[in-house]
Amino acid sequence: MRIPCPHCGQRDVGEFRYGGDASKARPAHGTGDMKAWHDYYFLFDNPKGPHDEYWQHVLGCRQWFKLTRNTATNEIGEQP
Amino acid sequence: MTAFRRLDKGGRIDREKSVNFTYDGKSLGGFAGDTLASALLANGKTLTSRSFKYHRPRGIMSAGVEEPNGLFAINGNEPNIPATTVDLVEGLAAQSQNAWPSVDFDLMAVNSFAAPLFQTGFYYKTFMGPFKKSWMFYEPFIRRAAGIGKGSCEKDPDRYETAHEFCDVLVVGAGPAGLTTALVAGRSGARVVLVEQDLELGGQLLSETDRDFEMWRTTQVAELRSLANVTIRTRTTAQGLYDDNLVVLLQRHENHDAARGRPRQTLISLRSKAIIFATGAIERPLVFPNNDRPGVMLASALRTYLNRFAIVPLKRALIVTNNDTAYKTAFDLAEAGIAVTMADHRNVIPSDLLSRAAMLGMAMFPGTGIADVEGAKQVTRVQLAGNHSATIECDVLAMSGGWNPVVHLTSHSGIKPVYDDAIAAFVPGGYAKNHFGAGAVTGKFGFESVIKDGNAAGADAAKAAGFDKPATPVATIGAKDRAYKISPHWAPKTTGKGKAFVDFQSDVTVKDIRTAHDEGYVAVEHLKRYTTLGMGTDQGKTSNINAIGLMAELREMPISQAGTTTFRPPYTGLAVGAIAGRTVGLHFRPYRLSPLHDANKAHGATFIEAGLWMRAWYYAWAGSTPETAYIREMELVRNGVGIADISTLGKIDVQGPDAAEFLNRVYVNGFAKLPVGRARYGVMLSDDGVVLDDGTTTRIADIHYYTTTTTAQAGEVMSWFEYLLQTQWTDLKVHVTSLTDEWAGMAVSGPKSREALQLAFPDADVSNENLPYMGCLDVHLDGVRIRILRLSFSGELAYEVHVPAEYAGSLWEHVLKVAEPLGIRPYGLEALASLRIEKGHVAGLELDHRNTLDDLGLGKIAGKEKSYVGKELRFREALQAPDRWSLVGIELMEPDKKLRGGSILFSAGDEIKGHGRGYITSVTWSTELKKFIALGLYQGGLKHEGEDIICAFPLKNEQVKARIVSPHFIDREGARLNA
Amino acid sequence: MLDRRSALASAKPYTSSVLQIGEAHGFSLLQVAGLAKAISPITGKLPVKVGLAVTSEGRTLMRTGPNQFWIIGPEVDDIETKLPEIAIITPLSHSRTRIVIEGEPARNVLAKGVPLDFHHSAFKSGTFAMTGLHHTPVLVHCVGENRFEIYALRTFAVSVYEWLTDAALEFAR
Repeated sequence: MRIPCPHCGQRDVGEFRYGGDASKARPAHGTGDMKAWHDYYFLFDNPKGPHDEYWQHVLGCRQWFKLTRNTATNEIGEQP
Repeated sequence: MTAFRRLDKGGRIDREKSVNFTYDGKSLGGFAGDTLASALLANGKTLTSRSFKYHRPRGIMSAGVEEPNGLFAINGNEPNIPATTVDLVEGLAAQSQNAWPSVDFDLMAVNSFAAPLFQTGFYYKTFMGPFKKSWMFYEPFIRRAAGIGKGSCEKDPDRYETAHEFCDVLVVGAGPAGLTTALVAGRSGARVVLVEQDLELGGQLLSETDRDFEMWRTTQVAELRSLANVTIRTRTTAQGLYDDNLVVLLQRHENHDAARGRPRQTLISLRSKAIIFATGAIERPLVFPNNDRPGVMLASALRTYLNRFAIVPLKRALIVTNNDTAYKTAFDLAEAGIAVTMADHRNVIPSDLLSRAAMLGMAMFPGTGIADVEGAKQVTRVQLAGNHSATIECDVLAMSGGWNPVVHLTSHSGIKPVYDDAIAAFVPGGYAKNHFGAGAVTGKFGFESVIKDGNAAGADAAKAAGFDKPATPVATIGAKDRAYKISPHWAPKTTGKGKAFVDFQSDVTVKDIRTAHDEGYVAVEHLKRYTTLGMGTDQGKTSNINAIGLMAELREMPISQAGTTTFRPPYTGLAVGAIAGRTVGLHFRPYRLSPLHDANKAHGATFIEAGLWMRAWYYAWAGSTPETAYIREMELVRNGVGIADISTLGKIDVQGPDAAEFLNRVYVNGFAKLPVGRARYGVMLSDDGVVLDDGTTTRIADIHYYTTTTTAQAGEVMSWFEYLLQTQWTDLKVHVTSLTDEWAGMAVSGPKSREALQLAFPDADVSNENLPYMGCLDVHLDGVRIRILRLSFSGELAYEVHVPAEYAGSLWEHVLKVAEPLGIRPYGLEALASLRIEKGHVAGLELDHRNTLDDLGLGKIAGKEKSYVGKELRFREALQAPDRWSLVGIELMEPDKKLRGGSILFSAGDEIKGHGRGYITSVTWSTELKKFIALGLYQGGLKHEGEDIICAFPLKNEQVKARIVSPHFIDREGARLNA
Repeated sequence: MLDRRSALASAKPYTSSVLQIGEAHGFSLLQVAGLAKAISPITGKLPVKVGLAVTSEGRTLMRTGPNQFWIIGPEVDDIETKLPEIAIITPLSHSRTRIVIEGEPARNVLAKGVPLDFHHSAFKSGTFAMTGLHHTPVLVHCVGENRFEIYALRTFAVSVYEWLTDAALEFAR
């Protein structure tokens, strides 16, 4: 699998680190809302198809970015 | 006894170059250009192996990667290698398998008489009773009797490589289609890689006698070799197709030599913009009773042995077919002077074939198949069935059941093959983007049409890769294709007493498939698993389609509805060594050396692996075993002064106007008000409220902090900081950079450590007033900036000295030299870890990503008012439960015994069973208390202080008495730290 | 007197008739984060995208992130003192070890470990890539037809160096 780093271009998946679901908004810092954090941290959809994700080019420029990956085909779509 | 002989002339072998090899220890000879299989046949070795379950005599059946029978152990260390895929090289040693004492006289063949026992499902049905673990009891015996080659226990003596490659157009297969597409794509200017598993280019053309074909072949090959943008890789097999056009190739090198660094095989990960599959087709056997006798061979293979290797049947050959292609074999044999008899399942045979057969004096039996094959160790007689029931004496029986396109690679992309009635075989069900098929794989078998399609596919692939300049097409030879006609014949209606094999390698017969059908295992995937069909090293290349055809017949449904099994990589077997490449021995994984590594070595350190790091474990001055050395090193630190390498700590540069705010958010305790020049211990949580890591952060300047993390979590914490700053808190102006490699660190610890620093840095004021506990001082020595932090991991008066890495060794020697009068010595990881246990400092073993702050006794340091990452979920009900496993100290109560890490903890009255109430995380001998002490996690934690417990260590069947105590074994008030 | 000691101080240079591998010691590396327009008046024109290197006044300037640059200069370089206060400066001279590999098979040696296209037409002189070699982060800088400088993390330098020299063996003639 190849992943397009927005800064370095197409690279092998081995250079990257997966950083989780990017479709959900992280609750604002310091809100004190346990339910919001619970839902953010523990509840995920498990879609077959396009999925917004965080990846870090950890063996490259170390930048984090979002991308859309089809979980069934590993096809990478437009950057969300 | 033999069924084959070699002709004095002809073929592609080089009779000038003889090659010596051994077979089961006996010396034999062959020629350059031979495979092991052709050399064995030329030496009259008709019976070469024994079958998997029944130990039936078997011979070479094919001339390619599909070979199910002729498997050998090569050079003593690699089992199950098809002889048809081994180039004959000088000194090659081939050993037969699965026979004892020899293939000619195999005692295990008694299995054959017990055959009814070995029919399908036999293992499942028989060995599952009478008691629960029956299978486990029987399995070793069964494995010994049934099986193929044995793996070697020796280290693989050869060298393997892995490599990456890129190109515009990859062409898999160098038959007529592959040569055509590669040339067209090459002419367009694209970077082309052409791979061919054979040692020569040409595919089927190498088995042809027609001079026009050979002219065409050499012309195309010459042009391909002349193009700088075309890379040709022979002896290279495309093993698998993966996401994003990644094809894994296995290249077998001709002249490997481990001593000179030359690999035997290279596994290449090739990424191509476009891929052309020109993988050809494999002939399938016909299924009839005793179709596995040595001397029964695929018709095309017999033709290859004749035309390429100059090997012919001794005198007489019988050929049985259901299609036209076997006639090429028949005609070539007849022209070579072999007496040929032809049995054709079809009643109607094209007239041109009949007249040619008559001209050559061949006996013809239309509408006729095989009833039985006789001959104990090789074919002697064949009984025909059908329109004719004659008995034919022959040396070799060649069969053709049609052709199966090699759809393996295209199927790896997830596209299922589809059944094509016209050729009675499966073809690719389509192609992924930028994938193209050409030649026999598409179901086209005529030369002219293959060239025509190849020209188109080559141009399309080049265009897909961005080369759309039209290239000159490759010329044909202007011959006329004859239509391919086949009448499928899957299996005889009855097989009588003789076994009719469908899968030769796994010993699966028609009867087995009927049994599976009768018992309801009708789906192809079930059939495979129930009968083991297609599960051998050949992965059913000759058997799968016949089995599907037979099952479809039994189910009375079209083959298209019966489905296929899933094709998975690798296409052919490969050495495990090739997958590992050079990731063995020293290069199994990278190793990480501290900037003080050479200095540690010079001072007699013994090293221990800690993650990727090689860390100084203990030093020679203190003893020759870790058990004794670390105690002397601990005593040194408690009573004098020691120096330890702590360069492995994670170190992060945190800079920017919002650095204070950032650190204040990620740590549970406050950092905003930390004065410049001071350090603070901090703990951070993950979002779920569980402890992530701890460390010390020093404020270097108003907007500049220097953070340390644990060795183990350095990478994790760095990534976490970057995640927060780059994706979530993008409004914060903070830049983080890892300094783990830039700065080395050494701990100078013990009551005399201040004196040591004074000697080392005479110009600096390291007094308690100027450098108090948790203070930071930048000093200069010889113009080098050195950072001294007054921190303590041991509980003693101690300092961390941080220095740019390249000066570390020099500074280490300087400190050891000038503080020599104080008795300074280095101490290692074992003592470092033991000292912190006495002090009750948590470390990696306690921070196991399951504990909360409260579990570790750190709840008090969290800011009540401030917000921090993980605060919300930290207060989840379960994380606040009163009986959570929490940090405790443990003292051994039986002086002559030991505490062991990992021991399971029980309350004194508990039954010693199950998971207990906790476990020991870290153990040491306490030089201060003169006893074993430990840190552990215990249900309810320090509420149980003073209670007696049992530490159970089931692996050694030990139980010792101990007591729960405070984890701070020494200096609870911190008098030493603040001295 | 404190002496500098390279991570590869005791490593032997590798030489065959077609390939040389060794260390290029003695450089300074300054990481600067900030806007290019604030920094370039001091350094000279900065490269516009990640992967391009330019040379200016004896220094090599690389863009290593959206707003991050590496300035590689002589072992003693005073540029740090001249940079504007707004730039975030992190000296990294000790954090990287520079390994040089040169010779006709240099590209093949690198391709064994790095999943990048090292073909002449794809990886040209003056370009660099931050990638992984032997599971460790490296910056590979093409500085000539078949000459590359590899910036490896100091603590992995020996491991990477040994990996490279071992990978080179099969190309010895």
